[in-house]
Amino acid sequence: MASGATIDGGETSDSNCYRCSGALTILRAATTEREIEAMPDGMTIDLTDVERMDTVGAWLIYRAKRDRGAKIVGASDKITGLLEQVAEADQPVKVIPDRRGGLTGLIEEVGDAVVETGQTLVGLVGFLGATLIGFYNVLKRPAKRFRLNAVVQRFDLVGVRALGIIGLMSFLIGVVIGQQGAVQLEAFGAEIYTINLIGRITTRELGTLMTAIMVAGRSGSAFAAQLGTMKLTEEIDAMRTIGVSPVEALVVPRMMAAIVMMPLLSFYAMILAIAGGGIFVWIALDIPPLTFIQRLREVVPLTDLWVGLIKAPVFGFIIGLVGCFQGMQVEGDAEQVGRRTTAAVVQAIFLVIVLDAVFAVFFSGIGWI
Amino acid sequence: MSSSPILPEGEEAVISIRGLRNAFGEQVIHENLDFDVRRGEIIGVVGGSGTGKSVLMRSIIGLQTPSEGTIDVLGENMVGRDEDEAKNIRRRWGILFQAGALFSTLTVAENVEVPLREYFRMSPKLMDEIASYKIAMAGLPANAGPKFPSELSGGMIKRAGLARALALDPELLFLDEPTAGLDPIAAQNFDELILSLRSKLDLTVFLITHDLDTLYAICDRVAVLADRRVIAAGTIEQLLALDHPWIQEYFNGPRGRAAAAA
Repeated sequence: MASGATIDGGETSDSNCYRCSGALTILRAATTEREIEAMPDGMTIDLTDVERMDTVGAWLIYRAKRDRGAKIVGASDKITGLLEQVAEADQPVKVIPDRRGGLTGLIEEVGDAVVETGQTLVGLVGFLGATLIGFYNVLKRPAKRFRLNAVVQRFDLVGVRALGIIGLMSFLIGVVIGQQGAVQLEAFGAEIYTINLIGRITTRELGTLMTAIMVAGRSGSAFAAQLGTMKLTEEIDAMRTIGVSPVEALVVPRMMAAIVMMPLLSFYAMILAIAGGGIFVWIALDIPPLTFIQRLREVVPLTDLWVGLIKAPVFGFIIGLVGCFQGMQVEGDAEQVGRRTTAAVVQAIFLVIVLDAVFAVFFSGIGWI
Repeated sequence: MSSSPILPEGEEAVISIRGLRNAFGEQVIHENLDFDVRRGEIIGVVGGSGTGKSVLMRSIIGLQTPSEGTIDVLGENMVGRDEDEAKNIRRRWGILFQAGALFSTLTVAENVEVPLREYFRMSPKLMDEIASYKIAMAGLPANAGPKFPSELSGGMIKRAGLARALALDPELLFLDEPTAGLDPIAAQNFDELILSLRSKLDLTVFLITHDLDTLYAICDRVAVLADRRVIAAGTIEQLLALDHPWIQEYFNGPRGRAAAAA
């Protein structure tokens, strides 16, 4: 065989001699390993005919010598050198870190998760404090500390650039509410109440809630990813050493943008949803726009609008806070940025919905029904 | 021997570049660049910042498609090859990126196993053993194996990157500033490591570096990138005989002289 290892088993005197020839390299590693496996312990390995060897080949030979007591003959100087080199590099290395399995492992994981959740909560409260101090510093000396450019740029990114998608989404939601309302209420001959439904649900709940979800997905994630990447590239450390407070320079403008833009976007979303519903009832129920608007003014109390708009900046605050907090928590590697970004969106939406329920109870309590 | 970047007829070139042109929009990085790398040598590539050392390496390894020119690596044309065809050549080289470029979700040992898994079918035991001795060869302690890249220091990341580059016993090794960011002792160990690997594994090493000590200690030839091409390639003595201002300043500056004296 020109370039293959051969087991020379023909002669009895030679049955424990493994004769290699040609190129003993990584290309033949799997076969060579199997062939050496099949040989008896204390075999002789003849390397006289080996033309080329790489470290993988050398490792296989060295291993046979170490574990199986093989004798090596016919090695050229170069091959001897290679064998010495792999022998030098022989150290058992673990491939993955040790993990506890079974019940202990499960308990350990649960424990870790509890500790981490606790730490996140404490960290979030700490971050809230730092943010409030940042806001206080900025408001105390606005001429020096207020970063107009950064804030305007965030307003643009969080607010203006979201107009298209939030408008489209709200319009479609208005259409869906109108359609569902019309189908259900028509059964009672009460399709005129579709207008009540559209007007009240969009102002009280859906305008703000859907906008919050969209802003969390668009901007909360962006906050976390931007700050997280800046953390990885040590930009935030550099800022600190220069004497610029990262909270004032990065977090406050983003939070401001979220707080200010949320009510504006929510109002815009309400109007678009009502327009969508209005166009639907005009087409489907033959209610002309003027009648629609007239009826809206009669059945939607102004407090509904306030319910929606009061919630909006609070939601904005939560989205900004969680997004920036998660971004600042990034440490280590790129995977963390992804994980933290996901966490920012999930936690922001979760908190928004919990708060929304609290608000619903509160507003009913004070009689804004 | 001359200091021409092109080898004379009859000598075997592992990398052969003719008429290379690279441009990003209006900005031309390389123009009419010719360059040969001899088999078995350690060639250092030097040049001022922005002269396109990394772009040259990226062109050779196929990460940057040149706008003109031919690049032959190990006797195969690299320009315009599709992924599958290029795989056979990729198996025969190893690359150490400037920042290590370790996969951050895998441990060091798993990083070394990635190329093994990609190209070969072998028993997990053998794969783990290969990863182990590669890690040791690259000068890492055994406890570095199960660590994630984020837990490593800069020098260890370079060594782990080298272990991964060596995983397939390549014929050709590309190193992008391997000693940048290492302390002098680590840098010297790295130089010795490259030398010993070269002599034992018949490596050809393409080395981008700013480290004058490395150039003097281990490079057989040095190629100088300037004016959008390789203006010369030769031993440092040959380069010094040339009357090029950048080369003179580079090797005859205080740092160059200190490295030469060492």
